[in-house]
Amino acid sequence: MVGLNSTLTLASGALSADSGALAITNNNIANVNTTGYSRQIVNLSADALDSAGTSQDNGVSFGGFTSVRDAVLQLGIQQKTSDAGSLNAQSALWSQIETGFSSTSSGLGSSLSNLFSAFSGLSTTPGDDAARQSALSSASNLVDAFHQAAATLSSAQTQADAGVSATVAQINQLSKEIAGLDGQLSTLAASGQDGGSAQDGGSIQDQRDTLTAQLAQLTGLSSTSTQSTPSLSTANGSPLVIGQTAFALQVSQGADGKTHIFDSQGQDITASLTGGSLGGALTMRDSSIPQLSTTLDGFASQFAAAMNTAQTTGYDANGSPGQAMFNLPSLSTDGTGAAAGITLALTSTSALAISSDGTAGNSGNVANLLAVQTQALSSGQNPTDTYASFVETIGNGSASVTGNLNATQSALTQLTTQQASESGVSIDEETTNLLRYQQAYTAAAKVISTINSLYTTLMNMSSAA
Amino acid sequence: MRVDPNQYTSVNAAIQQTEQSLGTAMNQLSSGKRVSAPSDDPLAFAADVQSLAASANVDRYTRNADAVITQAQMADSALSSVVTSLTRAVSLGTEGGDGTLTTDQRAVLAQQVQGLLANVLTQANLTSNGTALFAGTASTTTPFVADTTAASGYAYQGNSDSNQAQVGDGLAVTVNIPGDSIFTSSSGNVLGSLQGMVTALQSGSTSDIADATAAVSSAISHVGQVRVLYGNTVNQLNAENDYLSQETISLTSQQQSLVSMDTATAATNLTQAQTAENAVLAMAAKVLPTSLLNYLQN
Repeated sequence: MVGLNSTLTLASGALSADSGALAITNNNIANVNTTGYSRQIVNLSADALDSAGTSQDNGVSFGGFTSVRDAVLQLGIQQKTSDAGSLNAQSALWSQIETGFSSTSSGLGSSLSNLFSAFSGLSTTPGDDAARQSALSSASNLVDAFHQAAATLSSAQTQADAGVSATVAQINQLSKEIAGLDGQLSTLAASGQDGGSAQDGGSIQDQRDTLTAQLAQLTGLSSTSTQSTPSLSTANGSPLVIGQTAFALQVSQGADGKTHIFDSQGQDITASLTGGSLGGALTMRDSSIPQLSTTLDGFASQFAAAMNTAQTTGYDANGSPGQAMFNLPSLSTDGTGAAAGITLALTSTSALAISSDGTAGNSGNVANLLAVQTQALSSGQNPTDTYASFVETIGNGSASVTGNLNATQSALTQLTTQQASESGVSIDEETTNLLRYQQAYTAAAKVISTINSLYTTLMNMSSAA
Repeated sequence: MRVDPNQYTSVNAAIQQTEQSLGTAMNQLSSGKRVSAPSDDPLAFAADVQSLAASANVDRYTRNADAVITQAQMADSALSSVVTSLTRAVSLGTEGGDGTLTTDQRAVLAQQVQGLLANVLTQANLTSNGTALFAGTASTTTPFVADTTAASGYAYQGNSDSNQAQVGDGLAVTVNIPGDSIFTSSSGNVLGSLQGMVTALQSGSTSDIADATAAVSSAISHVGQVRVLYGNTVNQLNAENDYLSQETISLTSQQQSLVSMDTATAATNLTQAQTAENAVLAMAAKVLPTSLLNYLQN
């Protein structure tokens, strides 16, 4: 037998459940544009038993909310975000490098051609001062072109290096914030006040996810969170956050003039960091750009050596044996620094060794100088082809990074869309829910007013009797 | 299945994407280039670099050929004037061979031949921009100077070398012919025969004069042979220039096809990008304002 009183209790329970549901709907609507917010769904359950555990049909019970999120999807997004961050950083530097080699009317390629054209002109007019001057100038232009090419590479490298410290500072800041949020989450979990459900950190968890995504943008991450001690580390395993403690990465200038990164134990982890804009910058700084520099330096030193040899087979305008045309910086065997350090050794037009027998009007050595253009350098290719494949390497590097970036970005967009379709707040849906809970609330209120009128009827009946 | 409720992000992305292809299409159309950076097409860019180097080579071959042609023509016109002088000397020699002439008359003839000799010497010592045309590679020297100890009366101060100029891949031509093989050659000694003619006319011996006249005649035929060499060089270089200009055309068209944008394709791309842009914007206008709230207002 159900009494009017218990019906009233049931109805007031329904009222409070509906107003709770309205509050959650309200929260969803309020956060419709909040980055990283996961929509919350209302937990309602039918009370099967009363507190004494005897009676059935005891109305509704409000169980707070559950945030809708997909942890697996989030890991996928985190991974792709790191990849995209890395590729983005690389792509920016590649296009900067590429710009330095885009011109076909200036730069190394045309300087090479100009040099050979100028020497070729001397074959008919070996004694002409203007022609000799033009040959000397074009040699000096070629030196400038080598310098400029080397500067393009080294400035990109410097730029990659310059961002490292700032990025590490950002990483440390984010780690600290995440550790702070982990503290709040564990307090919530301990007090059972985490928005009504013990497993859900609600918007604090959302904030943590957002910060983690920002961190993933900066460096590759590996999260090995268990519920009790969530932990984050860089992709190579150096800890960033364990439990509620943040571990700061350190930077310092290495002996090689580059910024090195150390984990909290003081171990140099520069070489093992991957992913994110930090990983991208390090890849460019320590691998891609040095490879290009080595190629360019090899080209400069081999070309200079070939021209010097050709020059020394001839005689200058005064009949003295030809001297080296280019000076190279004192080199280690691989020619490091040759492109940046090459200088023109000849200072006067008469020093050009055009003659093959010491006669001023002889131009026999021009053939030897021009032969450098078609002879293979020790790299196996002639100078023009060496330069062409150097530029092709740059183009390929840039194109492949851009291609990967586009692919990664579409994958990321797809994952993000998928995540939004799970966790995003839909205004239409919330509006519908609003109407739904409003009507339920109205109906529950109606029940109360009906019971009230029943009581009134009863009272009136008693007083009439 | 639940769909992404936030249309703004994807609409934004779509607008950005179409704007990007619009920008690319406009760039390609305005610059006329399909490849403006190495990464646009690494292989084509590298091939373009090589093709441009080949073009620069063709340019310098052409310049060399033109320079050699100029020198050859200059030398040829000098030799043509030499032949005129020699021909005149032959007729003077014939005239001097007449036994009825007096010594004075022969002296006048000898003087005229002396004048011709001076003319020829000027041609033999001709310079262009300070470079002697007929001194071999010793181009700063004066090739022929009077020297009584020499058989011809003139000493050659140049050398017997010649310069080569590259006018094609693996093709070089001789720039100059050394003066000793033209003016003091054993097969036709120009200066020597004229000097001999002067001496013979002064001596008055008709048989000497006849010998000297024959020597000048053989010098004419020798110079003629040398002129044929110059003519051949010029012909060869003209042919080479024709080939080089063909080569320039084919290299230019190669570069065009490597990096240039076909205008029709570029225009089509632009139209496509515009259509896509319009479609996306129209879609945005339709999709974005839609919300359940619009229908609940009254």
